[in-house]
Amino acid sequence: MSRQQVRGNPRMRKGLGSRTSDPATMMEDPPSGDWLTLRSDQFLNWVDDAVYNIAEKTGIRDVVNRVTRPIFNWGLRYSPWPLHLGIMCCALEMGAAGGPDHDSERMGVVYRSSPRQCDILIVNGPVCEKLRPKLKTLYEQMADPKWVIAMGECAIGGGPYWDSYSVVAGADTFMPVDVYIPGCPVRPEALMHGFLTLQKKIREKEPGYFLRR
Amino acid sequence: MAEMWIHMGPQHPMTHGLWNLRIKVNGETITDAVPELGYLHRSVEKIGERRKYFMNTTLTDRLCYASAMTWTHCYCLAAEELMGVVAPPRAQYIRTAVLELQRIASHLMWLGAYLPDLGLITGFLYGMRDREMFLNLLEIPSGGRLLYNYVKIGGVKRDLPPGFEAKAERVMQTLERRLKEYENLYDNSKIFRMRNDGVGVYSASDAINWGITGPNLRSAGVPFDLRQADSYDAYPELDFEPVTNTAAGGGSDCFSRYRQRVDEMHQSMDLVRQALAKMPEGRVMADSVPLRASGEAFRRTEDSRGEALMYLVGDGSDRPYRWKIRSPMFTTVSAAPHFLKGYKVADVPAIMGSIDMCIGETDK
Amino acid sequence: METGQLVQQLTQHDGASDGSVLRSNVGRISITREASHSFFSTLKNDFGFDHCSLISAVDNQTGFELVYHFSIVDAAGQMLEVHIDLPRDTPTVDSITHLWGGADWHEREAYDLMGIYFIGHPDLKRVLLPDGFAGHPLRKDYVYEIHEEEW
Repeated sequence: MSRQQVRGNPRMRKGLGSRTSDPATMMEDPPSGDWLTLRSDQFLNWVDDAVYNIAEKTGIRDVVNRVTRPIFNWGLRYSPWPLHLGIMCCALEMGAAGGPDHDSERMGVVYRSSPRQCDILIVNGPVCEKLRPKLKTLYEQMADPKWVIAMGECAIGGGPYWDSYSVVAGADTFMPVDVYIPGCPVRPEALMHGFLTLQKKIREKEPGYFLRR
Repeated sequence: MAEMWIHMGPQHPMTHGLWNLRIKVNGETITDAVPELGYLHRSVEKIGERRKYFMNTTLTDRLCYASAMTWTHCYCLAAEELMGVVAPPRAQYIRTAVLELQRIASHLMWLGAYLPDLGLITGFLYGMRDREMFLNLLEIPSGGRLLYNYVKIGGVKRDLPPGFEAKAERVMQTLERRLKEYENLYDNSKIFRMRNDGVGVYSASDAINWGITGPNLRSAGVPFDLRQADSYDAYPELDFEPVTNTAAGGGSDCFSRYRQRVDEMHQSMDLVRQALAKMPEGRVMADSVPLRASGEAFRRTEDSRGEALMYLVGDGSDRPYRWKIRSPMFTTVSAAPHFLKGYKVADVPAIMGSIDMCIGETDK
Repeated sequence: METGQLVQQLTQHDGASDGSVLRSNVGRISITREASHSFFSTLKNDFGFDHCSLISAVDNQTGFELVYHFSIVDAAGQMLEVHIDLPRDTPTVDSITHLWGGADWHEREAYDLMGIYFIGHPDLKRVLLPDGFAGHPLRKDYVYEIHEEEW
């Protein structure tokens, strides 16, 4: 096998994002059964499996989870960091919610510019055909656990642009949406209510595992 | 050193919306730039052909969400020209007053968005705080916070409530006091000056050739203001002169563009006072507004960002046959490669922020 | 110059017709496609129209119509509306980017959304729609699917 082939899919270097997420197309697997020749991600998987199996068998996992669950859940609830992404009108109201009059930061909402640091993707406008693959990439770049808020009519179902040739009929046609906030545009108070609704959802649906599987 | 392309966008703190700036850099110096648009192309012109004339104000409000009033007003002027309707005098004065209030709100939004680009987060907090006052003020007659749907074909939706003048005066006095504070803060800040002075320079003749209009053109010293040159509504009866600024070495740089917008806020407050003082009594809506229209008409207005032009073609039905929008930012962005060349990568947020991007109107 | 006088002088040009005055500072004129190149040079160099406001393409079903709005950057704000008729099967016209730099993206937009070809444009490609998009959506015969839901 030549070195060129091991380097794998040339598309990856062109930055086509999500299409290369399948490791089988990126690089050929080393021979199985020999853990000394594992690639780094395979090694991590192997370690994860080993630790998880031991913790599960001995019952340590349940104990640790029971102790740490409230702490992790509390941490998740009060640090929902949204992505600093402005699409349309609602983006200004998102800014106003972060401004001094409404001050969403008191609920732990801090806007970050890198999807790697974020928990929430706020879709605050119509998703056009040209934008859809980019938004999907942004969503995939965010680390788990992550949530999506569809803010405003455009993100819920196309809004005033429902009969357009370039607007997708809602964000939930291509990504999972957790909270829908109606309004055109959404007022800052409604966005704050949306964050509180998400907190409630996290409290009920997201236990916060120490060892998640 | 090898040259390479860098993508800034579509999701980037510099972009203020969704667009992609590809820059070619040699080390830190920009040698070429390609702006890429279309991430917010909602096809307003096409779906506007499926809606009736008076329904399209919903779409025009959402064209530029930072300056909704001026865009709806431009559409209504063009439709009035097409239908042969004239708004009553009181409606014209109300329009003038709310347009200028909207312009101040839009410029404050720009101030709040531009200063964090330069690393001054305080500017964002100040800008948003003061903008809230104007949004609350515009909410009184229209009922909307951000998108108003207030200007209608043939007039305005409803009359100003009693006591509006006093509230507006109080808000403007507050802003005047605070603007003085901000000017002291920014103009004398060494960091602010170093990032603005002599950055993103273009000359007046280049700006005219590239189609740059509005505050970006007036900051190069060209006294071209459509409120005066192609006057509409109550502007001919008000007393004002276009304000201009120039950079230290001639032309326009980031600092003169900042000064221009601050000066325009002062001018707008003056215009609001004049319009409210001279306001006549009477109706605020024309007696009859036809539903159908034929022929063609266009009007251009001075938007917060430059020359807005709407061209309408009617075929005798109640829907426009063709509706074309001229967006000032569309042409200004097309000139971006010219005034980005030669500057450093770190200057890109300052230059692109200072021209006041609004993607909603650019992508239509 | 008075608008009426201006339109009268411009009507003398080859291929110009239908001169009229729309408003006190706005004139209107039609020009044939063949004469447009020299007409626009005259407009820019002799009459001082230094600002290209807008290029709109209209689909008239039988053919296309290009509407140019030019203006002068001064306190009088004089404008001229120029109409060019194009046949439906060959919608081509000479580019004006060498005269007005601001016309660059307006021409690209007219190509993108209406499918008008501008000869001599330095970089005629789509500006708003993605590269692989099929068709020109602002044409009247463009058909697309509308996601209409029953309520």
